[in-house]
Amino acid sequence: MKCRILDGVRHFLIYGKRGVLLNVSLFSSKYINIWSILTVGIVLTVIAPNFVILLQFFTEPADQWDHIRQYLLPDLLKNTGLLLLFIGTITIFLGTSLAWLVTAYHFPGNRFFKWGLILPLAIPPYIGGYTYHGMLNYTGVIQTTLRDTFGMEDLDQNYFDILNLPGAVFIFTLFLYPYIYTMTQTYLETQSASLIENARLLGKNGTNIYLSVVLPISRAVIIGGTSLVLLEVLNDYGVVQYFGVPTFTTAIFQTWFGMNDLASAIKLSATVMFIIAVLLIGERILRGRKQYSHTTSRVHPLQRKRLTGWKKWSAFLYCLMVFSLGFMIPGLQLLSWMLLTYEKVATAEFWVLLSNSLIAALSGAAMIMTGALIIANFTRLHKSLPAKALSKITILGYSIPGAVIAVGISTVFIYIDNLLAALYENLDMDGTLFLSTSLLILIMAYAIRFLAIGFNAIDAEFDKAGTSFHEASRLLGKGSVSTFFKVDLPMVKGAVISGFILSFIEILKELPLTLILRPFNFDTLSTKAYQYASDEQIQEAALPSLLIISLSALAIYFFYYVLKKERN
Amino acid sequence: MFVAVENLCFRYRNQEVIDQLSLEIQKGEILSILGSSGSGKSTVLRLLSGLETPNKGSITVAGRTFADERHFLPPEKRNIGMVFQDYALFPHMTIRKNIEFGLGSLSKKERKNRAEEMLRLVRMDTYKNRYPHELSGGQQQRIALARALAPGPSLLLLDEPFSSLDADLQINIRNELHDIIKQTETTTVFVTHDREDAKAIADRIVTMRDGAAHDWDSICMTTEHQKEKTLQYS
Repeated sequence: MKCRILDGVRHFLIYGKRGVLLNVSLFSSKYINIWSILTVGIVLTVIAPNFVILLQFFTEPADQWDHIRQYLLPDLLKNTGLLLLFIGTITIFLGTSLAWLVTAYHFPGNRFFKWGLILPLAIPPYIGGYTYHGMLNYTGVIQTTLRDTFGMEDLDQNYFDILNLPGAVFIFTLFLYPYIYTMTQTYLETQSASLIENARLLGKNGTNIYLSVVLPISRAVIIGGTSLVLLEVLNDYGVVQYFGVPTFTTAIFQTWFGMNDLASAIKLSATVMFIIAVLLIGERILRGRKQYSHTTSRVHPLQRKRLTGWKKWSAFLYCLMVFSLGFMIPGLQLLSWMLLTYEKVATAEFWVLLSNSLIAALSGAAMIMTGALIIANFTRLHKSLPAKALSKITILGYSIPGAVIAVGISTVFIYIDNLLAALYENLDMDGTLFLSTSLLILIMAYAIRFLAIGFNAIDAEFDKAGTSFHEASRLLGKGSVSTFFKVDLPMVKGAVISGFILSFIEILKELPLTLILRPFNFDTLSTKAYQYASDEQIQEAALPSLLIISLSALAIYFFYYVLKKERN
Repeated sequence: MFVAVENLCFRYRNQEVIDQLSLEIQKGEILSILGSSGSGKSTVLRLLSGLETPNKGSITVAGRTFADERHFLPPEKRNIGMVFQDYALFPHMTIRKNIEFGLGSLSKKERKNRAEEMLRLVRMDTYKNRYPHELSGGQQQRIALARALAPGPSLLLLDEPFSSLDADLQINIRNELHDIIKQTETTTVFVTHDREDAKAIADRIVTMRDGAAHDWDSICMTTEHQKEKTLQYS
């Protein structure tokens, strides 16, 4: 029955009312099936919240918008601009120099640092931020040691205050540089050997090669990594709020919840989206036609050069310093705080917290992988322009800050709730905002924001597998659904698992979306850690923070150490 | 005619890859389509199998219309066997499971018997519990052939079956392939760029050429050309 209706629709779309063949490739009979319908449905869900915001950009401004534009906006733009500029520059330097050292040279600890330097990524910047503040403030370990052990009583607090813009730059740089580091490192290790060996043969020394060969050839990956870093900065709420550096995300929170002015929050969101569009277009232009990889498949790994004398030790110290600041010191500090407070924190309430986090992250990740599988399977089998556009839209959500997605999805859900208000009344339910205050809205928002993670993982794997397995199965009499479960899915099983783990971790760490959209009294590890820290109970924040960090660190260990080793 | 292709046209990105192709094949015949790379010969196979949708023209096999202006039969309903250039053996299934894959309508026991029969036909019965990656290129090809023939297809399609094999292996396998296909009396279309391959296996050879003076390759048999019989039979 269902098939017959679909056939009817299909026939109408192809031939029109009068049976004249409409020559539109999108509607060619191959395109109207269960996969295309599901794909379009998912993609529309992803676009809707963002689209709502873009539409609002052109509507009449709300009462407070003038005030916001006059007094807040200049500061927001200045802060955001300064953050992006400094963080961008310093992370590029840190990320590429570490990648070059680790890839091209032998020095003590070099094998450990190769993956150890990725570990700072396991610490969400907001957790790193309040850990450093806790260490540096008057009662923190550094000042107490200076006072008690070295008798330095009159310490100028200005030296220890990091709750300002430079402090925020320090924190972001320290915990986000691994994006650039990993991408550059993988690229240099696998793709650059012949170029660098040639440069060596032509008599260039290390620094020379770094500046004149390494940086230019890895331009594309550096730009890719940097755009990820900058998008993370735009997305952040925890650090800038805690450090008192107003940016767009904090302003969205403030106008929406402080002033109760959703319309202005939407205007602010639209402005962020404009900045992001400029960033992404800039990325395209800068990257140009350069590709990530060589066209030849005959690539060989770079031979490492052995460092000697002081060079050996300075390379070691440089890596050790970054690793300590980015992972070891905050990790140990959190560990000691956790030991002080775990009895107080690990109560029954904490288990609720943990199960909340797991429920949200597991269902979010499941939703992401289901959507990603459907879209990836559809777009790879239909290599046409509309299908390509769909896959581009799918990964768009990743560049939109959580707070902006939250504004958009709330607008959509409130609209749906209003439509359903009569139904709620008939069912005698309390409250008219049933959907907008449910867990569903949060999980949907996660899925929209992190769909790209699942999609990219599966898409890459499908790309490797090619389409001939699918075609062979179809020719052996299996339909597209049966083929999907028997052939396509087993083929990308590994990617489904890794995509699931990655999106699970991302959801666990996520803060701004969760803060805005969680149902009443629904706390997760990240919101609770943030709440403790905001209430000046930094030591109590250690346990939930450490849980998030150890899960992320495990995932990093698995992906960058175990899997890479296996591949070699 | 057992297979009748009439005025088939296929456009890809606004380029005529196939233009007004007509083709007839008798039952049990082995037809070889000879052409240089990019001449659109593989596209003919993809159109016959339903992996691509023609823009114009019709395909009829054994009295069933596969495609015309109003109908399009999806690949899984065409009962066509195809051996892919890269064989496309499912890496997560054993050899036996691969061959049984297309036998969904049979009972478990019948499936097993049919698979063993096919394995004997291609003389690979001792390998049934191996995985594809454990076989050599020539062995993989025989399994791909067995898998395609197992459901008893009305038409067998072979896409450059020898391109991934060593040269000295080719001659042996060529004869073997010919014998197996003839044994099953399956109507076959096979595509190659190698004249020797075509001669060794085919009952009849069709050459594909780009008729028009464009810098892209296609068969491009314009109507005038068709009158001049650009399709050369030999």
